[in-house]
Amino acid sequence: MRLRDPITGLLFVLPMLVLFLIFRIFPTLGVAGMSLTNWNIGGDWNFVGADNYARLVNDANFWSSLRVTLVYTAIYVPLVVLVSLGSALLLNSVVFMRGLFRGILFLPYVTSFVFAGIIWRWIYEFDGLINGVLAKADVAPVAFMERSELVLPALAVVSCWKGFGYSMLILLAGLKAIPGSYLEAARVDGASAWQRLRSITLPLLKPALFFVLVIETISSFQVFDTIYVMTGGGPAKASYTLIYGIFERGFRFWEFGYAATWGMVLFAVVLVVSLIQRRFVGKENT
Amino acid sequence: MTLTATRPAARAGRRQPAPPPRRGGTWARYALLAVMALLTLGPFIAMLIVALSPRGKPTVPARWPESLTFDNIAQVLNASGFGQWTLNSLIYSAVSVVIILLTSSMAGYAFAKKRFPGRDTILWTFLATMMVPFQAMLIPLYVLVSDFGGADTFWGLIVPTLANSQAVFLMRQFILGLPDELFDAAKVDGASELRVYWTIVVPLTKPILATLGVFVFLWHWNDFLWPLVISQSDATRTLTVGLTVLKTEELQWSTLMSSAAVSAVPCLLVFFLLQRYLVNSIAMTGLK
Repeated sequence: MRLRDPITGLLFVLPMLVLFLIFRIFPTLGVAGMSLTNWNIGGDWNFVGADNYARLVNDANFWSSLRVTLVYTAIYVPLVVLVSLGSALLLNSVVFMRGLFRGILFLPYVTSFVFAGIIWRWIYEFDGLINGVLAKADVAPVAFMERSELVLPALAVVSCWKGFGYSMLILLAGLKAIPGSYLEAARVDGASAWQRLRSITLPLLKPALFFVLVIETISSFQVFDTIYVMTGGGPAKASYTLIYGIFERGFRFWEFGYAATWGMVLFAVVLVVSLIQRRFVGKENT
Repeated sequence: MTLTATRPAARAGRRQPAPPPRRGGTWARYALLAVMALLTLGPFIAMLIVALSPRGKPTVPARWPESLTFDNIAQVLNASGFGQWTLNSLIYSAVSVVIILLTSSMAGYAFAKKRFPGRDTILWTFLATMMVPFQAMLIPLYVLVSDFGGADTFWGLIVPTLANSQAVFLMRQFILGLPDELFDAAKVDGASELRVYWTIVVPLTKPILATLGVFVFLWHWNDFLWPLVISQSDATRTLTVGLTVLKTEELQWSTLMSSAAVSAVPCLLVFFLLQRYLVNSIAMTGLK
């Protein structure tokens, strides 16, 4: 009876543990090791020390991809946080048909980024939906996918459309947890709607907002599917992100060692964001 | 697919109704909501219009086509690759759902209710892997799987995606909340461990298993990067990858939109049937 627990416990964990050791832990350690080799498609490799990192530092593509990733994050995160916060506030302020609107706004979340990419590629086409509407207003067509300064905002809109429903639901749950009596008391005291939002709702919503901010920041580093479908990293590498670099180095040029080096940078960036988040959330909870 | 942050604990306490909005603002709120809903639904409607527009005719945006046809949809359904991709996506998703539900509920049960050496270390390691983005380990994972002959095979496609820490944590949290007395009583009665798992753990976790199943299905049905690199022919290509192949070969938007529309049908079905569960479980658990 005493020994039964440890053995069965281990046996029950074993299938998942084996999966994790082989397909998560091993590749995680492997990416660090591979980044020190010149591993290629043939499977031949030599230890090359920090050569890949030296190459990375001198690779204009890499710096450009880092810049593109950060610019995309700077556009996407405020956009998606504002849209999801706005929709959550709106949904929370109505009663009649709330469920219907919540469902509609959440709908794109269940589809794939590839699906979103194909539809929006057409919407952005030179003779697509947006330009069709613009033409009615006698505005010259805009080539969203061919202009470097427009491609990242255009991609951010697609990701926002597809994904904001998730953050909206998290924020809505946070809003519902705010006791109505607080807002009622403030209203009785004569606080305006803006004052109530700024001094009561938003401070109480902080944990949920912070969670959304981190989740969306990390997901903005990981954007890939829509770029693959819609732009292929173009025009002129204007949407060539870190992940796209990993993919292209690995699966177009088959330079696994060098691609792993790009992977290490992504790992580092996401790790820093996660650690910052853990620190802050830890403080909130204590 | 990976969740790299922990959700803040839900606030305790009874939910109180929001104060009734004042009359004047109500119309403005509904007007704004209607605009949001239109912007959200617009792309779906546009997709359907293009998908149902006659082939060959230039699809004039922002104008209703003169006639609608199901020819494009029928053509897509009859196309050689499409059926195979759909079948592959179904296999990928269904097999993953079954195995992940099984392995994660077993692991979750052990983590929640068993004492064994290394338990907390293993759990902590699972948690730590959540911080590693999948794309960062993509290259070594691909080399590993293809070295063992997994490229363009179903096991190579499916097995590496079964290591799912979100699923394990969800199950552990849920099973932690089940009373210990249930398990003790079963043991006193002499039930075997497998029997306890099958007749107590599984039935009592049914609601959370159902929720998790829906999410795992959506994750796999919509998954792209891993299927893209590991499947190299129609034999194992999933629908998302197939759509991108089609996009490079097919110049007719009506065909592309029809394919996209058909590919989303299972997700939309899930949405219409289970929307309430999806919405509630995101609010309760932060499952993404």
